[in-house]
Amino acid sequence: MDALKLNTIWVLAKRELRSTIYGVGIYLAIFISLIISSAILQNYLRAVSRDRMLITASPLSYPLFIATTVCAIYLALASVTSIAREKDMQTLEVLFYGPVDHTSYILSKYLKGLLSYIFIILFLAVYFAVASITSNLGLSVKFPGVLLLSLFLSSCVITFGIFVSTLTESVRTSILLFIGIVAGFIAIQVTHGMLIEMESANLSPPLIYLRNTLSIINTGVKWASPFYYLTEGMEAVSIGSVAKYTLSAVFSIIYSIIALVFSILAITKKGVKRMAGE
Amino acid sequence: MIKTVNLGKQYGDFWAVRDLSINLRGGEIYGFLGPNGAGKTTTILMILSILRPTMGHINLFGERLNGSRVEIRSRIGVVSEKQYFYPEMTMREYLDFFGELYQVRNRRQRIGELAERVELANVLDKRIGAFSRGMQQKVGFVRALLHEPELLILDEPVSGLDPMGIRQVRGLIEEENKRGKTVFISSHLLSEIEKLCDRVAIMNNGRLLAEDRMENLVRRLTEESELDIELAEGKPQAVEELEGLDFINGVSIDGKFLRVKVKTDRDYRLDVVQKLISRGHVPVGIQVRSMSFEEAFVTITKENISLLAKVES
Repeated sequence: MDALKLNTIWVLAKRELRSTIYGVGIYLAIFISLIISSAILQNYLRAVSRDRMLITASPLSYPLFIATTVCAIYLALASVTSIAREKDMQTLEVLFYGPVDHTSYILSKYLKGLLSYIFIILFLAVYFAVASITSNLGLSVKFPGVLLLSLFLSSCVITFGIFVSTLTESVRTSILLFIGIVAGFIAIQVTHGMLIEMESANLSPPLIYLRNTLSIINTGVKWASPFYYLTEGMEAVSIGSVAKYTLSAVFSIIYSIIALVFSILAITKKGVKRMAGE
Repeated sequence: MIKTVNLGKQYGDFWAVRDLSINLRGGEIYGFLGPNGAGKTTTILMILSILRPTMGHINLFGERLNGSRVEIRSRIGVVSEKQYFYPEMTMREYLDFFGELYQVRNRRQRIGELAERVELANVLDKRIGAFSRGMQQKVGFVRALLHEPELLILDEPVSGLDPMGIRQVRGLIEEENKRGKTVFISSHLLSEIEKLCDRVAIMNNGRLLAEDRMENLVRRLTEESELDIELAEGKPQAVEELEGLDFINGVSIDGKFLRVKVKTDRDYRLDVVQKLISRGHVPVGIQVRSMSFEEAFVTITKENISLLAKVES
């Protein structure tokens, strides 16, 4: 990649990051994530004062996981709307009059997403450090590892959002598509989970066939859903498995690369010009 | 500078552009004319690699375009018919963003100079979202000129501008051309094209109808021109005296004014005047009436439409 492309990626990402930091969305997401984390922490503290003990290896990991998930959903939505908004406003076409190509444009969106998450991490780190000191709940040595891993996992969510955004022409469609895909993933997982819980003897042949089909689809959904990597990574941290932790990071990188390649192919195929009536 | 060879773009069964071969030379102002839907913007988007041609190819700066080449696009400045902005940005922020994107050196100074030239220096720190259409068009112009491009591609550049704005933009185009820039203007405003362009291409229904210097196009369409001659004293015998000349197709008189139809293979004004003087007439004024560029454009377009209708039937 030459200097011109690197400059393009950096300049585009910087403009968007500035717009994000000056906007309210990111602070709202941080606020909501910290409110939920605070509620969980308060619950822990109540349990401690009631039962005089709390049995957990890393009391701050679960609240952090929840905070990360909330912020990841915000990043996914921000990514989902970003390209569609520029197509909607037709500013995307103007960028392509200049030294912007499909690859540098998609990579700039990705870089902006990652930098936004690093910005979020700073808030989360400060909050949990203060929470640890004031609540006396121990900040485990795993904590920096969790933060680092969350960066890899958020990368999956960001690239997934970017990919969905490349498929649509308007902000409304991209949000609906994103919600539709995520709802589809959840529906498959929940239905599959319910059928797995049922004993085979109680199931009719069509339901057994459905369960088997859903098992295959569910395997695919697991790999396609960015949130799967998030839960897997957090599980690796909670059980303290270095191998699983490393594997989660590697899978996240592979997932991100594949999603970025598909995003570049999709935007190249669909073009940057907003088609009339769309 | 720009050469298209059998360029075409097809959407389903519809050809937006077909077999387009044009050649834009370095340093000239080239007009790209055609009615709405002629395929002008589609052609521009193909030149900019925003649309992929269905057939043919494009050579830009002597290189064959193959996919999206950012280094080539960095040498082009583009002004589209409508300007699209990030509404939250001020004019300075917007131009600074593009200046950084194009890696413009001394961009603050350059932005200041260009804003001064289009008389927008006093609104540099105002949000572009609040600008009038004409002001936004001028901001688009400044963006296109920021990085000192070698080639300017202008799609309906004076659209939405008031007469003052049109004059300013025209001045900018002429100035940039004098500085060595090649200019490609797509427009349906014939008067603007006529004032600015060295050569023109006329398109209709996605096809190229003509490409030449404007005066050549007009000449090709007219087999005769008319001379309006004012005589000191109108004498009817002047008609008979001129009618015998082989380069004259017809003569009529109305008071002191003679209307003489002459062939266009060369300039016959002197021959006519000499003949009149030799017969004792005193010509006090002479004016050549030829087809205007607008009439030529309409003729070319109409002729093409009727020709196509014949072929299709």
